[in-house]
Amino acid sequence: MLKLDPIWQPDAQQENFRLLLDAMARPGHRYTLDTLPENGTVALTVLATLLDAEVSLDDPHALLRHEDWPMLQAQSTSTEQADYILCDATQTADFTPKLGTLPSPELSATILLVVDNIGKGNLQLKLTGPGIKDDRSLSITGLDSTWLSKREEWNCAFPLGVDLILIDDKQVAALPRTTKVEVI
Amino acid sequence: MALPGNELLSFTRRLSEGWTLRPKSVPQSGLGMLKIKESAFDEPFYLGEFPVTSAWLAVTTPDGQSAEGAAQVMDDRVELAEALALCDAVLSGHLPGWQDVVSLLERGQALRQTTNNERKLILARTQVDFSLLDDAGDNDAEA
Repeated sequence: MLKLDPIWQPDAQQENFRLLLDAMARPGHRYTLDTLPENGTVALTVLATLLDAEVSLDDPHALLRHEDWPMLQAQSTSTEQADYILCDATQTADFTPKLGTLPSPELSATILLVVDNIGKGNLQLKLTGPGIKDDRSLSITGLDSTWLSKREEWNCAFPLGVDLILIDDKQVAALPRTTKVEVI
Repeated sequence: MALPGNELLSFTRRLSEGWTLRPKSVPQSGLGMLKIKESAFDEPFYLGEFPVTSAWLAVTTPDGQSAEGAAQVMDDRVELAEALALCDAVLSGHLPGWQDVVSLLERGQALRQTTNNERKLILARTQVDFSLLDDAGDNDAEA
């Protein structure tokens, strides 16, 4: 009777979860999302795949619509306490997310950054680390430079740190905490 | 829910023809765990599981009336929870057909009352009069 947007359907969520796993395993590699939301931000596709009622989310830049919250079921909390943080990458990074603890580094935040474009732009990054043979370059449009400096600060005491997922209007790319990023 | 599920589903399908239904949350079906405390050590344990399904939706009729409704039902059929949520919305917003929903509710209540009465009758038949045991005990002692 009810028609659900495909991003809320199990089949699409399983495909997207596989895609996100691949993205985390191959940092900086661009993956195209097959299922996009009919309305709202593209980040909803990623959020619908990752979130449930057991985790918390903050949306400091108000990218989500009021009606998206009950669909996601995630608990709303402060940026400092959130398991997932959705941000507009054109704005400055002005918070300190959860970085995890030494016995449980997985209790850190995953930050979803909505950028203008992945793969094009004058910001050129050189990535090295696990999952990257030699090095990989990544161009981005719409990423404020404070995100990279803050990321370096947050990830300076490995295994503590945060994982970033970049999202544009149809692609995702991941920058896990193990990836070293240099601006070319 | 006392009425047959199929009857409710066909009723809500007819009722909502041409209406716009929008989910407010993702309809979900799963298992609920029934937790109670045992009396010896006062420790909690799970007595068992039961199916539970929930739905929350918003309805807009072609003439622009709108309402929200929700349902949580001990059943594993999502469409049943959606149908009950639709009935809830129709009743709460007095949307067209709300009188039909009221009459369905009244029929359901009557059916439930009949079932409860039958169960009470069955339970009453199983009652034992223990006062007779005292007489039997006295007879044994005398023998």
